[in-house]
Amino acid sequence: MSQEQERAIQIHGVEDGHRLESRVLEERMQRAIADGHTRLRVETMGQHGIGGRLWRAGNQEVEVTVQGPSGQRLGSMGFPNTLIVALEHASDDVGWLNAGADITVRGHASNGVANAMAQGRVSIGGNIGSRGMTMTKHNPRFDPPELWVLGSVGDYFAEFMAGGVAVICGHKPQNPENILGYRPCVGMVGGRIFFRGPHKGYSQVDAELVPISDEDWQWLRDDLAAFLERIGRTELLETLADRESWQLLQARSPFEKASRSKQSIQAFRENIWDRELGRGGLIGDLSQADRSPVPVITTGELRRFVPVWANRKYAAPCEASCPTGMPVQERWRLIREGRVDEGVDLALAYTPFPASICGYLCPNLCMQGCTRGQNGLIPVDVPQLGKRSLKAKPPAELPEITGASVAVIGGGPAGLSAAWQLRQRGHNAVVFDRADRLGGKMSQAVPSSRIPEEVLQSELERIRNVLPHVHLQQELGPEDIQQLKQDYDYVVLAVGAQQGKKLPVPGSERLLPALEFLRHSRKGRAEVGRRVVIIGAGNVGCDAATEAKRLGAEEITLVDIQEPASFGKERREAEEAGAVFRWPVFTQEVCEDGVLLTSGELIPADTVLVSVGDQPETGYLPGSVELEGGFVRVDEQYRTSDPAIFAVGDAVGPGLLTDAVGAGRHVARAIEGLQQGRDPEGDRRPMIDTSRIRTEYFDPRIQSLDGIDDCSKQCASCGVCRDCGVCAAICPQAAIFRVDLGADGFEMRVDPELCIGCGFCAGACPCGIWEMVENDPLPE
Amino acid sequence: MLSNGSIAPSSLGPKDLPWQIRWSQQKCTLCGRCTAVCPVHAIDLGVFRQRSVKPHLGLQQPPGTDYRIYYGIRQKTDPAYACIGCGMCSQVCPNEAIMPYHNDEPDKLRFHMDRGGQPMRRGGRRNDPGGVLDQIKFTRISMLTDPALDAGRHEFELSTLLGRILSPEEQLTTYREQGWEPPVREIYPLIIGSMSFGALSPNMWEGLMMGVAYLNEEMGMPVRMATGEGGCPPRLLRSRFLKYVILQIASGYFGWDQIIHALPEMKEDPCAVEIKYGQGAKPGDGGLLMWYKVNKLISAIRGVPMGVNLPSPPTHQTKYSIEEAVAKMIQSMSMAWGFRVPVYPKISGTSTALAVLNNLSRNPYAGAMAIDGEDGGTGAAYNVSMDHMGHSIASNIRDCYLNLVKLGQQNEIPLFAGGGVGKRGNLAANAAALIMLGASGVQSGKYVMQAGAGCVGSEAGRCNICNIGRCPKGITSQDPRLYRRLDPERVAERVVDFYLSFDTELRKIMAPLGRSTSLPIGMSDALGVSDAEIAERLSIKHVV
Repeated sequence: MSQEQERAIQIHGVEDGHRLESRVLEERMQRAIADGHTRLRVETMGQHGIGGRLWRAGNQEVEVTVQGPSGQRLGSMGFPNTLIVALEHASDDVGWLNAGADITVRGHASNGVANAMAQGRVSIGGNIGSRGMTMTKHNPRFDPPELWVLGSVGDYFAEFMAGGVAVICGHKPQNPENILGYRPCVGMVGGRIFFRGPHKGYSQVDAELVPISDEDWQWLRDDLAAFLERIGRTELLETLADRESWQLLQARSPFEKASRSKQSIQAFRENIWDRELGRGGLIGDLSQADRSPVPVITTGELRRFVPVWANRKYAAPCEASCPTGMPVQERWRLIREGRVDEGVDLALAYTPFPASICGYLCPNLCMQGCTRGQNGLIPVDVPQLGKRSLKAKPPAELPEITGASVAVIGGGPAGLSAAWQLRQRGHNAVVFDRADRLGGKMSQAVPSSRIPEEVLQSELERIRNVLPHVHLQQELGPEDIQQLKQDYDYVVLAVGAQQGKKLPVPGSERLLPALEFLRHSRKGRAEVGRRVVIIGAGNVGCDAATEAKRLGAEEITLVDIQEPASFGKERREAEEAGAVFRWPVFTQEVCEDGVLLTSGELIPADTVLVSVGDQPETGYLPGSVELEGGFVRVDEQYRTSDPAIFAVGDAVGPGLLTDAVGAGRHVARAIEGLQQGRDPEGDRRPMIDTSRIRTEYFDPRIQSLDGIDDCSKQCASCGVCRDCGVCAAICPQAAIFRVDLGADGFEMRVDPELCIGCGFCAGACPCGIWEMVENDPLPE
Repeated sequence: MLSNGSIAPSSLGPKDLPWQIRWSQQKCTLCGRCTAVCPVHAIDLGVFRQRSVKPHLGLQQPPGTDYRIYYGIRQKTDPAYACIGCGMCSQVCPNEAIMPYHNDEPDKLRFHMDRGGQPMRRGGRRNDPGGVLDQIKFTRISMLTDPALDAGRHEFELSTLLGRILSPEEQLTTYREQGWEPPVREIYPLIIGSMSFGALSPNMWEGLMMGVAYLNEEMGMPVRMATGEGGCPPRLLRSRFLKYVILQIASGYFGWDQIIHALPEMKEDPCAVEIKYGQGAKPGDGGLLMWYKVNKLISAIRGVPMGVNLPSPPTHQTKYSIEEAVAKMIQSMSMAWGFRVPVYPKISGTSTALAVLNNLSRNPYAGAMAIDGEDGGTGAAYNVSMDHMGHSIASNIRDCYLNLVKLGQQNEIPLFAGGGVGKRGNLAANAAALIMLGASGVQSGKYVMQAGAGCVGSEAGRCNICNIGRCPKGITSQDPRLYRRLDPERVAERVVDFYLSFDTELRKIMAPLGRSTSLPIGMSDALGVSDAEIAERLSIKHVV
């Protein structure tokens, strides 16, 4: 030792009582090394960075003894060849960025000891300040760095420590209750800390206590002795080398950090939440309803919407449009299924004139309502089916008469419809008419060009077979009505509107009512002049024009005060007859040589007809039957102000033939309702929303339909399942299946456990059968 | 759907709608999930007819013409079924075959949402994606000027105070005279804003509350949640979790008899009582919970019969003047818990906020003032209220704070800011900006729904149908088929996650400012904005 000391070179950090700058001391030390010195005794006065960077010595070991107070960063950037011993206390950052030096401080060291140390060793013979062993590294090319502290460490120890070993002996610590300081190990990612003594916690996120293995202990035991030797405290070995008193902190691996255990929410719910609140949690006392999670796509009772096979729930537009309620689509269905006779015969349940009216005389409201027509397709051609219905047969056996007896006054379409329906329902209907044959307006006023005589006669014949009690040529007076009221349960007035309205102009006596003209014409007794003027250009006027042409008229003029209301076949035929329509014109006077207009113009005429509307004859009606505007006033059930008397057809207001037939049918049902003591109810179902019908399935280029077979195939079957199987095919869940009900037909069903409520069935159904309805509420 | 026929004034085409569904026939498997999930029936299965004409080469034979039928997803154009853009269809689609896209021009639908003369109503938010808060930057970054702090390493004290803080002089006097000291709560500065039980589904509400309890009891974060006006579940009133709850009383007074009945059985005092005078999303307008939403559960919690309309009028019925209203409401609510619970009013952002504040500053029982700005959310409101009424929160809170500074009371009556905090996802930045403008804390609702439960609503008019009870995520619906899509535990997990991440972000903002021991309330020298007018209005730095 003495020899070595002799060999050591003394370097002064103080000259003439003045402290040398750190730069100068550094230069002197580096020069000494460059000069080949390996033992340096440095007299210091707080200089910075003493003993670092002595690489000029190469592999030669260099020993630096620091006498006096060391400044900051003792041994910083130290090299592995360097051994530094500070005999007194040291300032901040001892061993900063140490790259291999072995640094010993015999006294205490302040903050930042071993900060960012990567190799080498720092040994402290006392306590250290805060932020010791922070940011240390372990480069795999070298041995890990070591920090040895005899006493305790200050706050924030081992922050972001990334490698190396720290040994804290806890001997005479600054704070006997906590030798590791406040919040050690925050951000620690590597390395180990052996310590001895009490602590007040460490960052559990980053570090964990682990047992000390035998191998670890062996290392610690051996190196502890060497440490004590370095700091000159070998006498403590026995005290410190007590394995039981040591603990080991180790950085957690990234994997351990990620899976650090805090109580899961599920456990929290079970152990804390539900325990404090009670079973079922927050509202378990208020509701026992199941609130457990469900998937977004659900089946069964958890579906928001469910499909319903609403077959026949709604009326097809054709049926809804027809005053008689004729289920046209049902007839087409029967025909489509090959049951042509049934399809044809079905009409007779709704009208006694399926051929005459549906086939010839009706503007076919059913076709106007047809869904196909709304979507640019031609409507199904109903007159073809109407004409075919001439062959329709009523049920072979009529029900026994058990119900009411009803006198029907008037054998036109309204009266016959009422009687026909009453008889088919088991009531006795007796028809009175003052004409010599049945059919009313159809027989008497409709031009024969519009309907073949044999068609009408054939249908009237069919009616006579069903209604044996018909009294023709019966003129009835007021007392007769009273008598009928007594003899029968009900009286149905179906007397039509026989009286042409008068035109209140001079010369009106020269006018011939068009209806009368038509009646005469039907009987072959009418005559017209060369020039005919018809005042009133409605459909009756048009019929009169057509007939006038047939009877030889050459110039036919129809005049009206407004745009003529005529339409359909009547209008078309009048136009074809060459009739000139003039409007708006106003009649001043009917003169001998024509019609004088308010404008002063005279339309020359040999015959002047008037058709400005017709009214019923009402003189014979009892006072109990009130009128309104010249017509019989009725309620929704066609009942007059006299409860025993109903009125239908033109007697209650102008209308189409089909309106009259529909009213007759309605009255029959109303009477039946009264008879059975229940409110008269309609069989009318609400009309289907036509947007539900998918006409895209049909060819839009078809412009004509050939025969009833063809027609039946083009019917969209609105609201009635056509058994096409599209729904079962489109269902993504295969939830829809067909059930054969034998004689009752079939139905489509849905397996609720498969169905997700997507509505594909409703979207694809050609007929609009499937409805998506809100599922029943779940229990709360 | 109008391929043929006439048009009516309200006949719209897909181009007129705010959201347009794009559907790929090539990818679609026709699985039905999109139509099953659509909350408003905006889409259904369509039957399509496609025509092909086949002329022959050389035209030697007559050309053929043929049709084929195919199925696909069709968007309805009836205004009543207009797509809301929620995107649930694409969420459930196994093949990415369907997606709503926003119209590239203002829609025409807005001109037709008034059928029957009823102006449009909706839930959600003001459809204004911009705002001042996101423009504010934190420009004071201390590296060497202040102790540089590390958000990950240093400890931060992020809690704030709710309650009236006495001035030092008053404190001394109170101490000497052993007088009454107003109750003050130390709470986390991000409060879950008032969303009522009823506006939210039971699973959502329970999930939020469970998350709040977890944050308190497992994470040590004193997070509080305000009930909104709909009462409070009886079990919660009688549990220790009540201390995490701010009870709200509003003009409908729903559920308050239940709360009064629970008083003798309460284990804990509630955190505070909030008296609602206004809501930022619909200032000056009231609310109405429709009768069909008043089911068994809602009726039990609100203390009303089932199936009746529940109106919350725009104003408190017994309010005749600001002095009287504020004084007597605060007195009454303080009295209920023996003056142990802070009581404060919440108003909507308004140019009259200073008048309210001046009043409160003279009232020793006023525990705080909360302002809800125009970007706040709501379960249901008239469009016109939501889009055109209200006051932005930034300048409102700033004016109030600076006024307190003038009075020397800025540390005595805390201000809480709400309305659009985090509306573009920048929850911590917005909160920090408001805090530095002078708020002691912030309230947030929409962010909580978006982050906590996956609310798909957006400022671009997406979804926003909270008002019709068909929330596709089950957040605002009372229909178990919808709200059971939401698992309370998962909501609680999300609440914990976004609070923890908010906490970290707030530290990331505070650390460079060198603040760690108290919230930088009013520390506006740290704020900057590139818009000179905003800078001038808010008295913060103009940075370019």
